[in-house]
Amino acid sequence: MSKLAVKICLGTTCFVMGGSELQELPEKLPASYKKLVSISGCPCLGQCGAAATRAPYVLIGDELLSEASIEKILKKITEKLNHAQ
Amino acid sequence: MFIDIDCARQKKYNQHAYGDYFTSRRYPDTGRLIAVLSDGLGSGIKANILACLTATMLLRFIAGGSNIQKACETILNALPVCKVRKISYATFSAIDCRDDGAAQIVEEGNPQFIWLRDQQVLTPEHAVITSRTFANRRMHIYQLQLARDDRLIFCSDGVTQTGMGSPQLKLGLRRAGLIEMVLAKLRGSPQISSRELAGYIVAQAQKLDAGQKAQDDISAVSLHFREPRKALVFTGPPYDHSTDNFYARIFQNFNGKKAVCGGTTANLLSRELNLQIISALGQDAGRLPGISYMDGAQLVTEGILTLTKTAEYLENNELVQEDAAAKLARFLLDSDCINFMVGARLNQAHYDPALPVEIEIRRTVIKKISRLLTEKYFKKATIQYI
Repeated sequence: MSKLAVKICLGTTCFVMGGSELQELPEKLPASYKKLVSISGCPCLGQCGAAATRAPYVLIGDELLSEASIEKILKKITEKLNHAQ
Repeated sequence: MFIDIDCARQKKYNQHAYGDYFTSRRYPDTGRLIAVLSDGLGSGIKANILACLTATMLLRFIAGGSNIQKACETILNALPVCKVRKISYATFSAIDCRDDGAAQIVEEGNPQFIWLRDQQVLTPEHAVITSRTFANRRMHIYQLQLARDDRLIFCSDGVTQTGMGSPQLKLGLRRAGLIEMVLAKLRGSPQISSRELAGYIVAQAQKLDAGQKAQDDISAVSLHFREPRKALVFTGPPYDHSTDNFYARIFQNFNGKKAVCGGTTANLLSRELNLQIISALGQDAGRLPGISYMDGAQLVTEGILTLTKTAEYLENNELVQEDAAAKLARFLLDSDCINFMVGARLNQAHYDPALPVEIEIRRTVIKKISRLLTEKYFKKATIQYI
């Protein structure tokens, strides 16, 4: 099974709107998830111009998460992994 | 061509001040560089003041429009004589060099400079002018035409006289010994920077002195006439979308080091040039976004936050950090001619009142960095708005 890709936007807007905290995600990831999830940065997801949603953005699999926080990301990862099983 | 010049110095042991003084200034508009090395009589504070005065006045005279020969002659005739030793208060070497290679050098009292080309020492013609007021003062005037990769070495007598009296070097290192030392170093490191070469000469000279303690002030100036190290910084997407590919190609074909500052800009290059970007997460959350990697670019960073921090680092001379901004600062300082390709397209999201006020306008930050590079670090910086 391929790993679930988590891409954290490191663009200016996302970074100042809370993205900087999201860089701690690898340390906050439960040990049991480590083999199932790959976390990387991304120069810009190009979403900051969207009027309806707010930064910071994270792409989890093919789903875009806005106003992301560590908790929201972990919840979404759990959801995705459970769904895949 | 670029004139890479630097000086290294060592104080005479037991002294708290340098008795030699070096000053240089670049004039980017006219492609001119003026530098002066002066050795004050004696050592310590007195020598420091004498050398500093001589070098600073000379540089100002030459820069103020005086012909270098006239400026030096004025100083030559005006320098007082030490009552005890009956010799001049300070010696000097003055260099007026242009980036087309035309150079004028005037020396009074310092060891003769060394002109190196392809591992050979060149012997330039020179004229001698004797002071009208002091018969024992003579200045030597040289007119040179430098070629690519030529080097000039200037030094105070602390270098040529090091080790004097020791069994190996009864008369000191002398000019011949210095030439041998420099040529050997250049054989091993032909592209060594002026900063490193000057540092090497001073360190070696100190080692040769009795007890490895500098017996006199030791200074070396290295000048390297070389191809400029060019760099391009691409930051911000072009105003007109339809020119994205055009500027991406300019970036791709640029012959030199390249940096990208900005997520949108990195994505643009990735899309137009079909290059993959790999982003690392930053080391410390809350500081700066980490750097990314892309083929064809030496450095890929986030935009405004990193640039703002880079300007701060350059202003405060803080270059040892390991974050993206310090990496960018070092990238800039390792280059001689830097072109900033600054996109004028605005990122509307940056104008959201919810964002912290630190987000400055890209152009303002780039202007600040460019000014610092030119005025503080003697680089040639240009800004191109696209």
